[in-house]
Amino acid sequence: MKYLVDVNGVRVDVVLDTDGVTVNGARELAQLTDVEGTPVRLVTIGGVQHRVVARGRGTRGTYALWVDGWRFDVEALDERARAIRELSAALQGPAGPAPVVAPMPGLIVRVDVAVGDRVAAGQGVVVMEAMKMENELRAQAAGIVRVVNAVVGTAVEKGTRLIEFELEA
Amino acid sequence: MARHQGGSVAVPPPTVRPIRKVLIANRGEIALRVVRACQELGISSVAVYSDADAQAPHVREADEAVWIGPAAASESYLKGDHLIEVARAVGADAIHPGYGFLSEREWFARAVRDAGLIWIGPPAEAIAAMGSKTAARTLAIAAGTPVVPGTTEALRDAADATAVAARFGYPVLLKAAAGGGGKGMRVVREPGEIAAALASAQREAKNAFGDDAVYVEKYIEGPRHVEIQILADQYGNCIALGERECSIQRRHQKMIEEAPSVAVSPDLRKRMGDAAVAAARAAGYVNAGTCEFLLAKNGEFYFLEMNTRIQVEHPVTELVMGVDLVQWQLRIAAGEALPFTEAPAPRGWAIECRITSEDPANGFLPSTGRIAYLHIPSGPGVRWDGGIEVGSVVGLSYDPLLAKLIVFAPTRDAAIARMERALQELVIDGVETSREFHLRVLADAEFRRGEIDIQWLESRLPALLATAPPAETVHVAAIAAALIADRERRSPAATGVAARVASGARDARSTESDWARTARLDARRGL
Repeated sequence: MKYLVDVNGVRVDVVLDTDGVTVNGARELAQLTDVEGTPVRLVTIGGVQHRVVARGRGTRGTYALWVDGWRFDVEALDERARAIRELSAALQGPAGPAPVVAPMPGLIVRVDVAVGDRVAAGQGVVVMEAMKMENELRAQAAGIVRVVNAVVGTAVEKGTRLIEFELEA
Repeated sequence: MARHQGGSVAVPPPTVRPIRKVLIANRGEIALRVVRACQELGISSVAVYSDADAQAPHVREADEAVWIGPAAASESYLKGDHLIEVARAVGADAIHPGYGFLSEREWFARAVRDAGLIWIGPPAEAIAAMGSKTAARTLAIAAGTPVVPGTTEALRDAADATAVAARFGYPVLLKAAAGGGGKGMRVVREPGEIAAALASAQREAKNAFGDDAVYVEKYIEGPRHVEIQILADQYGNCIALGERECSIQRRHQKMIEEAPSVAVSPDLRKRMGDAAVAAARAAGYVNAGTCEFLLAKNGEFYFLEMNTRIQVEHPVTELVMGVDLVQWQLRIAAGEALPFTEAPAPRGWAIECRITSEDPANGFLPSTGRIAYLHIPSGPGVRWDGGIEVGSVVGLSYDPLLAKLIVFAPTRDAAIARMERALQELVIDGVETSREFHLRVLADAEFRRGEIDIQWLESRLPALLATAPPAETVHVAAIAAALIADRERRSPAATGVAARVASGARDARSTESDWARTARLDARRGL
C-alpha cells in the first residue's frame, strides 16, 4: 500500500509491505509497536527505535506527531483517499483568505478593523485576553474585511469566527 | 542585637511559636511544594481548592482539604477574608501564600497576623515597602542600592508619559506598579506609540491586579535579568544565597532559569549580594525574598524590584546552595534562627524549564484540555515540581504553568545535556506544551555559550521556532505517519490509545457500522 505523506508541508511517498517500507526507492525493515496503556508507540526502522506520540486531528490521516523531540503536523493518505480529497477540494472553488478564529475561549479586548478595511498578511486585527494575558490575533493573508463578529467586552468560545475576509477585487 | 540595621521600616517584634498546621492559600505546583515541605518537617498541611481543582494533586497530598469557591480566582484563591476564616475553622497556626494570588498583598499579610495566625512571609510592613515598585525604588535609593533611572510616581495620562519619556530619552519601559510576571508592561520606542501602549498597559494591569497605576523608566538595551535570593530570620541575620540567571524571557515571562549565572564572578556575586541585603534590611525584611537586578554588559547592575515571596524558580538556588528554601520559610516564621551568617559558594549548575500549556508553534497561545498521559522524567539529577497528573484538566482559569523541570549537574554543559535528556523523556499528551521550545533553546549555540540577555529570546524566537528538523527525523516521521495511518485504516475503531475489546463476538460487533447494527437489531425484532 502506498501512502502519500505530507510532513510539515514536505511530500514523502511511503510504500508499505508486510514488514517494511520503501521510501525513495530504498527499502528498510520497519514496524509499529504500541506501548500498552500509553499513547506512546515504538517505530522501529532498520533496527533503531524511535518513540512516537500521535494525536489525531479530527480528519482522517491527519495527526500531530511527536518524534525524537520534534513536533510535526502530518497527513498520511493512501492514493485513493488522496485523489478523492483533491477532487472535493477542487469542486469547492477558490476560498477567500482564512477567517480569524478564536484559538481559545477568552474576552475580546480590542477590535482594530471594520468592514471594508484592507488588511495586510500578518496585520493584527483583534486583541483577546485569556489567562490574564493579551494575545493579538493576526490576519493570515491580505484581504478586505467582509464581516466583523468580534465585539469588545464579550466572551467568545474557542473556534468562533471573529473576522471574515474576501479577496481584493 | 543589631536588628534591622539602617532599617527605615518599623517591624513587629519576633514571634517564636511552633507551627503545627499550615493552611496553603494557593494551588498547583507551588501548593504541592509547600505540602511536601510540611510533610518533611512534621507539620500538618491544609489545602484549599476551587471547583476547578477538586481533583488536583495538591488537594490529595495535603492532610486536609477545604473547598473555597468557584473556579474564578476572584471568588476562591483571592478571597483573603474567607481563607482566614477557613484557617481558623480548621485550627491552622499559619498561612503560606505561595506565589501569585495573595502572596504580595500587604492587607492580607496584616489580616492574617491580626487574626492571630502566623504569616509565612515577610511582615506586612516589608511587603508595603517593597510591594509597589515605586515604593521599592525609593527605598533602594535610600539604601544606596543602584536603580534604573525612572519615575517614582504613577503616570497620570499620555501627556504626562510623553513628557517623562522625553526626559529619559527613548526607548522607555511602561510598567504596572502593582505587577509582576510581565503583565502590564510595554516598551515604547517613539512618542507616537506611547498613548496606545499606556492604555494597553493600564488595562492589563487593571485586569490582572485591580490597580491600573503604571510608571515609566529608562529602557536599558541588552541587559541580563539576574536576581539574588535573600533569606532573613527574625533576629537580624540576612544573607544572600547567590544569583539566578533569568534572562530567557518571552514577553517578560521567564521560561528558563539557571544558577549560577555565567556572567557573575565571585566578586560581582558578593557586590550584588551586599546590595540586595542592604535593600532587604532597609525594608525590615524577614523570610525568603528575591531582589531582581538588571545586569548591564559593562557589569553595572540596577535594582529592579523585590519579590516579597517564594519565587517560581527557587529550586535552582536550592540545588546549587544545598538549602531547602520552603522549609526555611516555615522555620523562620516559627522563630528559628539561620544557622549560617555567610552564604556558601554555589556548587554545580542547575537549570529549570517551565513546562507550560502554551503552544510554541502557534504564537504561544494557551492550550486547554485534559492530561491523557504523562510520563515524568527521572534518573540522576532530575527534579520535577509539577501540579498535574493524568486526568488533570487544564483550563483557562489559572496560570499556564504545568510543572517545572529542574536538573542539577556539576557543570553548565553537563546540566544542559541532562536537561535535553530529561525533556526527551517527558511525554505530556492532552495539551500542547512548551517542551519542544525548550529543546530548541537548549540546542542553540548562543544559549550554550551563555551569550544571552533579556532581549535574546524575543529576537531569536522566530528563527528557533522555524528551525527545520533533521532530515533523518523527517524521514522517521513520514514512516511513522504511514504506519499509523495504515493501522487505523485497517481497524478504524481502534484509533489512538482507545482500549480494544479483547476478542470474540463482542469485538465483531464493536466494529460494525451503525447501519449494520440497525439491520441486525431490526432483523432480531422480526421487522
